[in-house]
Amino acid sequence: MPRPWRRHAGWLWLSLMSFTTLLILITYETRWVYPEIHAYFSQTGNLTGQQLATRSRGYLQEGLGVLLEAPDDEAAREQAAFRLDLAYSLFDIGLYRREYACTESSLSSLETLSNRLSGGDVLTSAELNRHLLGPIGCLTEIEMDQLDRRSAVTSAFVEDTRRHQGVVLGGSLVIFLMGLVFWWMHERQRRHAERATRESLRWMGRALRDPLTGVGNRSALHEDVLAQTGQTMSLMLIDIDYFKQYNDTLGHPDGDQLLRRLALLIDESLAGQARLYRMGGDEFAALLPCHDSCGLARRCEEITERLREAAIAHPGHPENRYVTLSIGAACFIAGEAGFTAGYAAADRALYSVKEHGRNGWEASEGEAALANRVDESQA
Amino acid sequence: MLAWSILRCTALAGLVLVGTMSMTSVAVAGPDELILRQAGQEVRLPIAALRDQADESFTLYDPFEAEDVAMRGVSFRDFLVEHFGEVPEALAFEAWDEYRVTLDGWDDPDWILVTHQNGEPLTLRDRGPLRLVERDYGDRDLENLRAFNDWIWMIRSIEAVP
Repeated sequence: MPRPWRRHAGWLWLSLMSFTTLLILITYETRWVYPEIHAYFSQTGNLTGQQLATRSRGYLQEGLGVLLEAPDDEAAREQAAFRLDLAYSLFDIGLYRREYACTESSLSSLETLSNRLSGGDVLTSAELNRHLLGPIGCLTEIEMDQLDRRSAVTSAFVEDTRRHQGVVLGGSLVIFLMGLVFWWMHERQRRHAERATRESLRWMGRALRDPLTGVGNRSALHEDVLAQTGQTMSLMLIDIDYFKQYNDTLGHPDGDQLLRRLALLIDESLAGQARLYRMGGDEFAALLPCHDSCGLARRCEEITERLREAAIAHPGHPENRYVTLSIGAACFIAGEAGFTAGYAAADRALYSVKEHGRNGWEASEGEAALANRVDESQA
Repeated sequence: MLAWSILRCTALAGLVLVGTMSMTSVAVAGPDELILRQAGQEVRLPIAALRDQADESFTLYDPFEAEDVAMRGVSFRDFLVEHFGEVPEALAFEAWDEYRVTLDGWDDPDWILVTHQNGEPLTLRDRGPLRLVERDYGDRDLENLRAFNDWIWMIRSIEAVP
């Protein structure tokens, strides 16, 4: 039979898996997707953060500035040539050559200009304009087109991201709701199992109780004895004398009332130390722990004494005016075999009391047997 | 027409502006040396010597050139061990175009310090005289140049960052 926790572990696992999936999804989105965005759109800190065309145009303009400032100066021409080389290297990109027709002619123009500078030529402003206006215009065109492309890519990316976020949000919501539903199913199943367990325990309790008096029944006695296996116990069998005549005289409702009253009286007589059971119509049993000495005689005496004090009228009693009891008691070692022997010994003692005219007790403690018969004169 | 007008205006504005620019930031020409820095010490290596040592040859598709290029150079990891005694945790690069960057993860045989391209020594115009490239760049998108941001051009100095 599967254990209760295993029965609802399925829903619990599904719920935990849902929440774990949700956590993984959120972690993935925050840790892995953001760096991708950063790599594509960050404008700083890397080689292509700023457009190569923009950087190239910057060096062209710097070189031009140097030449305009000091066209006859040898050092200035060297510095300008250096900047033109830098501009050339950032301009000479395969993508630009392939996509922009003006690139080849611009690079050719720059090469010519650089060679003339290296050769020591002094260039006029008009010559500089002729050589540089084309490349600068080409670079500006590239920049503008690249910006347009970047905007288009950005828009597409934003749109994709928005759609992706929608999907992720929807997915997260579904997973979250699934987790909640699975948790609710688990909780519902757990509560149902708890309720079923409580119900079973209640029914088990009822099965071991006498509904009329509220004390245990024969099955409860058997279970309680087995639960104390190995312990020394004592058993008292208590029979109501002439109970049939009581019922016949006063009616069964009064008979039921008498049974409840006697159950209470016996329990009080034994100072709550015994467990009480109803074995049949007019027979009770009391189970007591035995420590050093069971003191069965004293306990039997207490019961009969309390009953005598109670003086419960019994109009149908052929030998007495009041309700009397016959009690047989014996000690035994709790367990299957010990209980059988103890029950038989107590029953023999009870039979002996009945044989001697009822209204008395007999207790068998070890090999000793004590008995008391109530004198007729006491009736 | 509108675009051309904008281009002309931009170019002319640039001409006017740069005419008044300061020249204080002009760098000294002469990319014939590589500067190595470590723990306050500075060593200058002739580029010509590095070109002579170049013993790694391979051909790869250069995404910036957009074509197959035959390259020659030296293993960058071996180069670092030879000159720094080990592969430093991180390296700070300075390029001739004033690009600066600090990167780590150089204990990788894939990186080649390239000195030649198609049989010719790299010059500034070829984004030289030294360039760092990965011999095997896996399945990266060749159309996305941002995927090759770690490639460093026009290397002027390398500093070991502890």
